[in-house]
Amino acid sequence: MTRTPNFVSWRAAILHRADDNIDRLKRQLERLGVTVLLQWKPLDLAETPADIVLVDADQGFDDLLPWAGDEAPIPVVALLGSEAPGRIAWALEKGAGALIAKPVVASSVYPALVLATHAHSERTAIRARMAGLEERLRLRPIVYDAIRSIMAAQGSDEAGAYRTLCRLAMQRRLTVEHVAVAIVAGHEPVPRAM
Amino acid sequence: MKTFRVGILYSTTGPYGAIGRDCRAGAEFAIEELAKAGSPVRIEPVFGDPAGQPERYLELIRTMLRDDQCRNVIGTITSLSRKDVIPLVEKYDGLLWYICPYEGFEANENVIYTGACPNQHLIPLFDYMLPRHGKRVYLAGANYVWGWEMNRLARELLMRAGGEVLGERYLPIEETDVGLLIADLQRHWPDFILNNMIGPSSYAFLAAVKRLAERDPAFAPERCPVLSCDLTECELGEIEPGVGVGQLSTASYFESLASPENRAFKQRVAARFGAGLRISSFFAGAYAAVMLCAEAVTEANRDDPASVRGFLHARPRQTVLGSLTIDPRTNHAALPFHLGRINAQSGFDVIASRGAIVADPYLVGTLASQHAPHLRVVQ
Repeated sequence: MTRTPNFVSWRAAILHRADDNIDRLKRQLERLGVTVLLQWKPLDLAETPADIVLVDADQGFDDLLPWAGDEAPIPVVALLGSEAPGRIAWALEKGAGALIAKPVVASSVYPALVLATHAHSERTAIRARMAGLEERLRLRPIVYDAIRSIMAAQGSDEAGAYRTLCRLAMQRRLTVEHVAVAIVAGHEPVPRAM
Repeated sequence: MKTFRVGILYSTTGPYGAIGRDCRAGAEFAIEELAKAGSPVRIEPVFGDPAGQPERYLELIRTMLRDDQCRNVIGTITSLSRKDVIPLVEKYDGLLWYICPYEGFEANENVIYTGACPNQHLIPLFDYMLPRHGKRVYLAGANYVWGWEMNRLARELLMRAGGEVLGERYLPIEETDVGLLIADLQRHWPDFILNNMIGPSSYAFLAAVKRLAERDPAFAPERCPVLSCDLTECELGEIEPGVGVGQLSTASYFESLASPENRAFKQRVAARFGAGLRISSFFAGAYAAVMLCAEAVTEANRDDPASVRGFLHARPRQTVLGSLTIDPRTNHAALPFHLGRINAQSGFDVIASRGAIVADPYLVGTLASQHAPHLRVVQ
């Protein structure tokens, strides 16, 4: 870890009923420079924006967190006393990337924030990468159409046409797929020999 | 007269026995002075000596908290043992007094921290050293969380400052074969060496650097000093005579500090132990912790953590370390920073100081301002 994780001025939403445990959790978060909002009702990020959510996984119900699993828009930490697989599954389903066991001990809080944040950013990066790959997959037939047009225009074989398409994409600073779309849609003239 | 029992948990033998003996002597001296002064409550020490064995710390502190009615325990030196005993301290709702410099990233309601954390030792040390000695640094450390985390932070600070880590090596605490480390140093010619080793490996290293400097003046202390954040007067006697001279260490207390309270303290220590004892920040820190604890339970006439914390948080308290403010947010003491250079008399000459620095154990304020994103020029 080259940079010390830092949560100063972060806003944490704790979804839990107030009790001594949660008081301790709140104080420890405040030591880390985190502002805490405690509530026992569904999270509404539009109304009360938060950078991370810590949710009671023992009592938690689906509507508390208005998203499913890998859609969590912010990092999620599960507050868990139970060992019941169903409750652990619920926490996972809601996108928990870390766990703070109850009763809360001070030393578990900072590591949980670091883990949950890391898990969340990793998931976000994977999601973005997958979206990119899926789009490329979806556009493959169009790339093929563009290659066929180039083959016809410059009288080359498939490999030559593909090289032309790649060079054009590089010049335009676009992906191969986007140039292919432009060619097929007629926004870009079909390149002849380059 | 009401009696309160206080646990004193230090290893007086084992690899860091010199530090433990000093801590224990400081605590004992405070208890003697309290008894002599006719304090309105009696502080009865319950001593435990784990001899450097991690599992013994757990057995001893459990007995202190559960059977001996100690609510306050002054002790532990390594972070390993502190982390090990905290769950028991929490379970029995006791208060652990931790007086050693450590690597930070902890703040527990059942612990009072009067030892420095990195924004009170490493960061001011780098603030002082980088502009004066250069930014090409070699990192040596104990193969244990203190060494790892101190060097991780040192690397981060150097990256921020545009410096360079020339090499990084770790040795077990008891390893005294430092040949590879010295050979590696000779390949790099650093501006200075950060030494986060502990005990025998650190002593052997200082001795080897001294011999290296005799062969190659590029490693003389004035050209390439060895910097520690935890080397004190009590360990200089463990090192071959004279080998540490000229090297640097940070502390929140040095025996040579010229304050009136320190002068008086030194006289009393000399009267009790003879003029030969070198007072370290461990001795003074344990002494101050016992005194503060005694004052707190005297005032509250109770020794539960909430009452003691209330006393400590209420206002600054006068101690042999100076006026001590304990931050209610972190339970850490604000501490001054001193940089000392080892002299030929097994003491330190203070070469730089800063007034009390508020502890920032998670570096929330210290590094936050520097967290702006780095922008790259795109051509």
